[in-house]
Amino acid sequence: WLAARSFFPLSCIPMSTYLQKLGKWEKKNRIVYPPQLPGEPRRPAEIYHCRREIKYSNQKMWYLAKLIKGMSIDQALAQLEFNDKKGAKVIKEVLLEAQELAVRKHNVEFKSNLHIAESMSGRGRYVKRIRYHGKGMFGIMKIVRCHYFVKLVEGPPPPEPPKTGVDQAKEYIQQLRNRTLVNTL
Amino acid sequence: MAAAMRAGVGRLGLRASWRTAESMLWPAGVAPACLRIPVRTKKKRFFVPEWARELTPEEKERRLKSLGTMFPEERLERTFYLACTADIIDPYVPPEGDARLSSLSKDGLKQKVEKLKQTAASQLALRKIKDHDLDFSTKTFPEKAQEIFIEAHNCLVNFNKQKLHSLVTERCYPEMVRGNRYKTIRWSFVESLEPPRVVHIRCSSIINRGNLYGQVTVRMHTRQILAIYDRFGRLMYGGEQVPKDVLEYVVFERYLVNPYGTWRMHGKIVPEWAPPKDPIIKTVLIPGPTLSPSQEYEETK
Repeated sequence: WLAARSFFPLSCIPMSTYLQKLGKWEKKNRIVYPPQLPGEPRRPAEIYHCRREIKYSNQKMWYLAKLIKGMSIDQALAQLEFNDKKGAKVIKEVLLEAQELAVRKHNVEFKSNLHIAESMSGRGRYVKRIRYHGKGMFGIMKIVRCHYFVKLVEGPPPPEPPKTGVDQAKEYIQQLRNRTLVNTL
Repeated sequence: MAAAMRAGVGRLGLRASWRTAESMLWPAGVAPACLRIPVRTKKKRFFVPEWARELTPEEKERRLKSLGTMFPEERLERTFYLACTADIIDPYVPPEGDARLSSLSKDGLKQKVEKLKQTAASQLALRKIKDHDLDFSTKTFPEKAQEIFIEAHNCLVNFNKQKLHSLVTERCYPEMVRGNRYKTIRWSFVESLEPPRVVHIRCSSIINRGNLYGQVTVRMHTRQILAIYDRFGRLMYGGEQVPKDVLEYVVFERYLVNPYGTWRMHGKIVPEWAPPKDPIIKTVLIPGPTLSPSQEYEETK
């Protein structure tokens, strides 16, 4: 609409702020569900967030992602804050961003009422470079990047399924089978 | 050697230099009888090509004509078209207690019967509008205005952007549409409690003198149902079974000079004494002062 910018013609040139190509994870935030009928149980809010091209290894990031899976957001933030790895700082930023988004845009009422349903790491774009060794030798070095994806769901974290008798029995049998003689032929 | 000396001397008078050179090289007795000295008499012609020379104005003109007609470069201007004004001109101040008094009291009756013949400015503006738009009349316009209002809100519910742009000005469109992208809105018009009436007319021009825009304020007292659902289908605001009585002062605008212009919704006037809106269903955190770990909140108060 041109009225407010009538005296500055150049400001009418549109500046495209949208990204070049949105990934699948970002597009998951765009689905709109139809309004719920009064009798239905309240649908929990789901927020998808990710960070792309983090300068960290995919395999190392997996350990942190596995650590967080299934925790409530406060517990996850606490664990990451006192973790010594580089990826922990990055994931903490991502979680805080996602929490902000949830409260502002996706109509989440309480910011602590979120838990992490899915947390995954994916391989980013690798770049090959030369690593110089002594005596004129060289190696090809890979500069490794990763993506990190997280899905926050409203509500307390789901409880762990209770351990059944069958599972306990299986564990016992496995322990018996693992017995071995050490330092012998 | 003698020639070299002479060249080194430069532009001095040739004879004078020759003499001094001679006297230096050969003292008086030893001077030869005759000595051939090549002298440069030819004038050095400095050649300036025609294109570098400064031409007299007539020559310039002749040159330009011979090259052919040159079109002036297109100026990098972007023309803009103002389809609506930026704000409500001279907003109407609704009288306090409007639609609060019962129609049985004297004041209530006065309010009902109030006609547009209040201000001279409104009358002038009305006359100007009638010059450009022959069909305009304060008696038929309010119904059309209400139809436009209902149509615009229906388009908002269906996200019919094309039609919404034709019913609502560019200033009003972002106000209506902002924040609604991933939400579902359910709106319906139940009934009109009082017949709508024109309350205020203004006419003004932007930038140039004759560039007229007309703004008409219509007072509507209606009953509406509004329910907004968020992305997941949960109710955010309002309710589908709860009709609400709404008193609104809606401003319609038209670009009078444009013969194909239409009356479109331009904005709403919210008086200060209006009752506060219903709160949204969720609770919102208001950020407080940042505390250091040892401080308590009660101490900062």
